[in-house]
Amino acid sequence: MKLLVIEDERSLLASITRYFRKEHFLCEEATTFEEALEKIENFQYDCIILDINLPGGSGLQLLKFLRQDKKRDGVIIVSARDSLDDKITGLDYGADDYLTKPFHLPELSARVKSLLRRKYNEGNATVDLYGLHIDLTSRAVSMCGLAVPLTKLEYDLLVFLITNKNRVVSRQAIAEHLYDGPGDQAPGPEFVYSHIKNLKRKLKEKGCKEIIQTVYGLGYKLVA
Amino acid sequence: MLAGSIFLYFLMRSHILHMQEQQLHLKQNNIWRAFTNTAGGLPLQIRGEYDISPEAVPSTPVSDRPRDTVLSFPGCPAETFNLLTSRFTDKDRSYLVTTYISSTEVTHLIIKIALADALIFLLLLGAIVIINRKISRRLWAPFYATMDSIRSYDVRRHAGIALSAATGVEEFDQLNQTLRLLIENVYQAYRNQKQFTENAAHELQTPLAIIRSKVELMIEGSTLNEETAGLLGEINEANDRLSQMSRNLLLLTRIENRQFPDEETIDLSRLLEKQTTFFRDYYADEVADTKTEIKPDVQLIANRSLVEILVNNLLRNAYIHNIPGGYVRVWLNHTGFSVENSGPPLEGDPTRLFDRFRKGREDSRTTGLGLALVHQICQLYGFGIDYSYRDDVHHLRVDFRTRG
Repeated sequence: MKLLVIEDERSLLASITRYFRKEHFLCEEATTFEEALEKIENFQYDCIILDINLPGGSGLQLLKFLRQDKKRDGVIIVSARDSLDDKITGLDYGADDYLTKPFHLPELSARVKSLLRRKYNEGNATVDLYGLHIDLTSRAVSMCGLAVPLTKLEYDLLVFLITNKNRVVSRQAIAEHLYDGPGDQAPGPEFVYSHIKNLKRKLKEKGCKEIIQTVYGLGYKLVA
Repeated sequence: MLAGSIFLYFLMRSHILHMQEQQLHLKQNNIWRAFTNTAGGLPLQIRGEYDISPEAVPSTPVSDRPRDTVLSFPGCPAETFNLLTSRFTDKDRSYLVTTYISSTEVTHLIIKIALADALIFLLLLGAIVIINRKISRRLWAPFYATMDSIRSYDVRRHAGIALSAATGVEEFDQLNQTLRLLIENVYQAYRNQKQFTENAAHELQTPLAIIRSKVELMIEGSTLNEETAGLLGEINEANDRLSQMSRNLLLLTRIENRQFPDEETIDLSRLLEKQTTFFRDYYADEVADTKTEIKPDVQLIANRSLVEILVNNLLRNAYIHNIPGGYVRVWLNHTGFSVENSGPPLEGDPTRLFDRFRKGREDSRTTGLGLALVHQICQLYGFGIDYSYRDDVHHLRVDFRTRG
């Protein structure tokens, strides 16, 4: 998968590309409007991570050019401008998703993968793991043919961990991911523990391996 | 005017006194002439007219100034008279001749003149006041126009203030010019301040995002041990709080600046249902019981983000400041909504509940801005908000009806 990260803050750019390279994405970088424009015009990407405030111009302008050229590259806007207007404008211009800074890298990763899944799997997405079968379209989970009844939160939690499998995901990142209310008003992460506990119990009851590990007090990791 | 009236009164009085004296003298001479001509054939006294009294020895000196006296006639009320006594001699006999003249009429005259004068005085005064007011109203019209413009000016909107540059009065032109400058400067300062707060809160997000991403990369690293994990966890938590605080501060500033102009019809029933479901599930292990009584189709016209934040913060507050095994109850109808929860008593002053950075406990889970935001949003939309606490139950009510 080919990824273009357009971000003027080099330090943040380095974090993002490092995170994605670990998952064997091909990452290209751009830090200015011109640089980004050149890359967008000459190459095709599976997903573009786009910052709005760029030296030399606005990321929204880039998005406009991209869609005018009828290019179908997936675009996720990443911006510190978290007003609803910017979000709506961004989506109107043809962005596929919008994430406000500061974001959690596992969250960005989940958004990118979800976008790619929508783009390439045409809705027929399933995940299989140690006998665990997850239908991402119908949101159904089964273990060796037996349905695992999960609450909405437990399901979202499981999918988030699977999307970020073999990586440590912090409790904060999980709490924010589970929450779908107004941006940045997510509840505290201290109750993530009880949902993990319930999820683990339900998976164990159906005979699933212990796949979710607790990493000190920091977060959780799904080992696959 | 008043001094003129007083002067006129004294002038009249002295003149009338002088006139009376002249008349008394004239009368005296006439009577004396008639008396001598008729060789004493004239009656010695006509009451109220004259009085001739022969004097044996001219002893007492006689004043030649008129005096006042009161005489009464049968059937008539007593009247004041002015009298003058003089000494006349005829054939070595001395007489005292006293003449009288009624001063009642004169007093009446003075009173009438004074009344007329007072009337003129009052009419003139009234006319002066009315004319003065009319003139000043016309003269001060530009001033009042300026006052109105200033009164309706709102620095938050800065809808170009209309101050006439040519009022016809140089002083007012100068005043308007000065005011225009002042307002422009105030607006500039206000805008800079606003911009600064926004930029500061906004610019903070980038370094916070960098810290967060670096911590997340470290968490991934293989060198993680329990000690570093603990440290990273704390860094992460502090960083998240900082991030949320700066966002909330930015939000508060923007609400104060009324930067949420987009309003739409919001189905509050659905919004509340959805958010309550999330919080109920999220806190299911701690707060055992969530009850809702939500009337359907309760609608509000407001900014969606703000209403979501309002509802979210009230609910979150109810769940966070709860007790294990506690409960949360939510009501909604067309007049408002209430959130009730079990919880430990509030520490500190309940009237300061909505202040910024006021926290019940030394609680690292909150930013201390949640209820300040709620309050600010209620104020923006003119909602009433009430807090009460009784028997370990906190009750917060938002009332739509007080919307002004």
